[in-house]
Amino acid sequence: MPDPQGRIVLAGVGGQGVIFASRLLAEAALARGAQVMVSETHGMSQRGGSVAAHLVIGDEPGLLIRRGTADVLIALDRLEGLRHLPVLRRGGAVFINAVEELPEGVGTRLHELGIRTCQLDADGEALRLGSAAIANVVLLGFVAAHTSLGLSPGDLRLAAQGLGPPASVRANLSALDEGARIADGPDHGHCEWRKPSAVLLEQASR
Amino acid sequence: MGKQLLLGNEAIGLGLIRSGCRMVTAYPGTPSSEILSSVIRLKTHAPEVVYTEWSANEKVAFETALAASWSGLRAATAMKQVGLNVAADPFFSAAYTGVVGGFVVISCDDPGPHSSQTEQDSRLLAHAAKVPVLDPSTPVEALQMTGLAFELSERFQVPVLLRPTTRLCHARQSFESDSGLFPATAGPPPKGFRKDPQRWAATPAFRLKLHVELIQKLKAIEQEFEASILNRIQGSFGENGTAQLGVIASGVAFHTALQALRDFGADLPVLKIGTPYPLPRRLVADFIRRCERVIVFEEPDATIELQIPDRTRVRGRLDGTVPQAGELTPERAAAILAEALGEAGFPVPATADELLTALVEELAIPPRRPRLCPGCSHRSAYFAIKRTFGPRAIYPGDIGCYTLGTNLRALDTCLDMGGAVTMAAGFYHAGRLLGDERPIVATIGDSTFLHAGLVPLANAVHTGARFILVILDNHTTAMTGTQPTLASEVGADGAAAEPASIPELVKACGVRFVRMADPYDQDPFQELLKEAQSFTLAAEGGPAVIIADRPCVIFDPTPIVAHPIPVTVTEECDGCRYCVEAFECPAIVLRPDGSRVDIDLKTCVECGQCIDACYKGFIVPQLELQHA
Repeated sequence: MPDPQGRIVLAGVGGQGVIFASRLLAEAALARGAQVMVSETHGMSQRGGSVAAHLVIGDEPGLLIRRGTADVLIALDRLEGLRHLPVLRRGGAVFINAVEELPEGVGTRLHELGIRTCQLDADGEALRLGSAAIANVVLLGFVAAHTSLGLSPGDLRLAAQGLGPPASVRANLSALDEGARIADGPDHGHCEWRKPSAVLLEQASR
Repeated sequence: MGKQLLLGNEAIGLGLIRSGCRMVTAYPGTPSSEILSSVIRLKTHAPEVVYTEWSANEKVAFETALAASWSGLRAATAMKQVGLNVAADPFFSAAYTGVVGGFVVISCDDPGPHSSQTEQDSRLLAHAAKVPVLDPSTPVEALQMTGLAFELSERFQVPVLLRPTTRLCHARQSFESDSGLFPATAGPPPKGFRKDPQRWAATPAFRLKLHVELIQKLKAIEQEFEASILNRIQGSFGENGTAQLGVIASGVAFHTALQALRDFGADLPVLKIGTPYPLPRRLVADFIRRCERVIVFEEPDATIELQIPDRTRVRGRLDGTVPQAGELTPERAAAILAEALGEAGFPVPATADELLTALVEELAIPPRRPRLCPGCSHRSAYFAIKRTFGPRAIYPGDIGCYTLGTNLRALDTCLDMGGAVTMAAGFYHAGRLLGDERPIVATIGDSTFLHAGLVPLANAVHTGARFILVILDNHTTAMTGTQPTLASEVGADGAAAEPASIPELVKACGVRFVRMADPYDQDPFQELLKEAQSFTLAAEGGPAVIIADRPCVIFDPTPIVAHPIPVTVTEECDGCRYCVEAFECPAIVLRPDGSRVDIDLKTCVECGQCIDACYKGFIVPQLELQHA
């Protein structure tokens, strides 16, 4: 596993656990010895407003990630995912929690730019696991199994063990496992690309 | 502790504890609120007792901490930038009197603005007050600068302003806590308050002497800043020691500029300024002399730029090269640098995909406007106010979650803390001059009322103003993360505190109509509003105050949990949108085809308040439907 590195944007709405998800990735990167900067951006509302987190892993300056330079976009909400698409660089990847497909024109454009899209009904999977609140962590398990940000599902498991009370830790661990299991499953989730090639997701030059 | 993630505000809190700061006072305000919270969390590990308080307002916070400094203790006060306006009176005066124990004022600016009335630059206020400023660019640097601020304050006996911005306050950075980089320090042993009336109680003649002293201190400080480690050059000049383009940057903007230059693969000399006031002018002038052109990146205003004596080669906010309003985002900084690099003969590739941006713009994704939480008692209060007084009344409002009352069209103004009460009185007196007899119904939160509403209320009673004031008492400072208020039974660190009584304070202002009511009881609450209006119109009447008493659902959900009222929308719902617009609960969702609304069970807290929001009776308790 290469050293963790990359620019990741997480987007969603208040109450979905965007901040927690960014915290989990950051702690995992930290445990692997990487430098980390996480910026939280949120509107005025505690719930229901747009929430985004910018996570820079590795030794580079900047508190926010500039549009067109993010390696990965993790969207816990379909609309927020669409809204944040311009953060991605060419050759980047977007993971989106949604049932409905992306609009056709968007999909085509992303394909032209070499941006790989990966869709998962994380809400549905979380409900099947018994808690709507862990959709964020299901998606992270799925992402970790797919990309080469240098963070494996195992890295996330380790970090999750240190975050929150025991009941939440158990729920988060099963969510991570489920997300990773789907990614490893026969159809790799609803994904534009298959896992073996995804591992090659290069740290393209920016 | 090893490696950990440190939030900007926690870094400052840690810096305060490591510096042996013995008193920290604050009034909550985004983005500053977590500073005192983290001090409270960390102070149990401090070698000595640390006094902490959530003060009534920033002026109170400032003066309380200043007294600790005059007693020889290291002390600090934290606030957001508009809070420094409230504390401006002692801020200016304390620069003259000076301090004894290190005294650090932390004022967090909000370029954007993300959650403020203004984009003002605290560094400019410090310039006006003649207070030195340190300007950190990352959480770890904020930790380091907190310690340096105490040392500087003690050596020169002046208050020092530490000025982070929103992005820094809310960024988490990896930090090696046992790296030994930032050892714990402490000031000289405190001797207690020493009388010195010519300083501490100076009359104007002595004030002149103090002013001259202050100017001398600033000269010496500028001299010291010329060689400070906080100001340094990164990147490189050309072989002849000059460059076509250079950058001067401070705060978060320094990192924003570095990121863009790194992405462009451009190696330019960048002068990082950590001490924007007083500006080390010789260092800056020398840097500018070696560059053909210099761009200044700073936020939110032109503090550094304004102090540069010769700006012939300088571009920045003053000439509009850097936008004069709004946050200096990575996109903006990159665009400015790309253009300047192009002009200097180093074209750089654009990285953002404009076609993708345009495509997403075409989707016209509606912005999610902030809304009050499901179950919020403010929604119920505003719904009752709007139902009672309609669109004609004048609705002065104030600062807090309830500013969102504007979505419910029951809030017309939001000026500053306490402005609802004074402006209600002003609208009344102006209305008398104009023959305008519209009812005036002002709203203010409990914490805001205790911050800046009391004196205005006494003023309104004294001047014979007539209006209704609804104090939205949700038992906490909700907007900033549920900090206690003066009316709380606990203080900042959870120890018992003497609660102020809001009704007694209102009565003491001379108000003769003071009632408490639960805004969840819609009908009685609306009746009470009418009764209050009658009092404002009666010959022997006056201002009327209603205290809408119901805890914030985030702070204390127990009343709802104890009596849940799950609701459902009947088949008859015709999608008229009345509840969506007049009540605006996030849990009431209009179907995409507009045919009807549904209750979103994920966000609904079962408060049952929306039953009143459908005047057609289509939102009903679930039990009722089962029995029907």
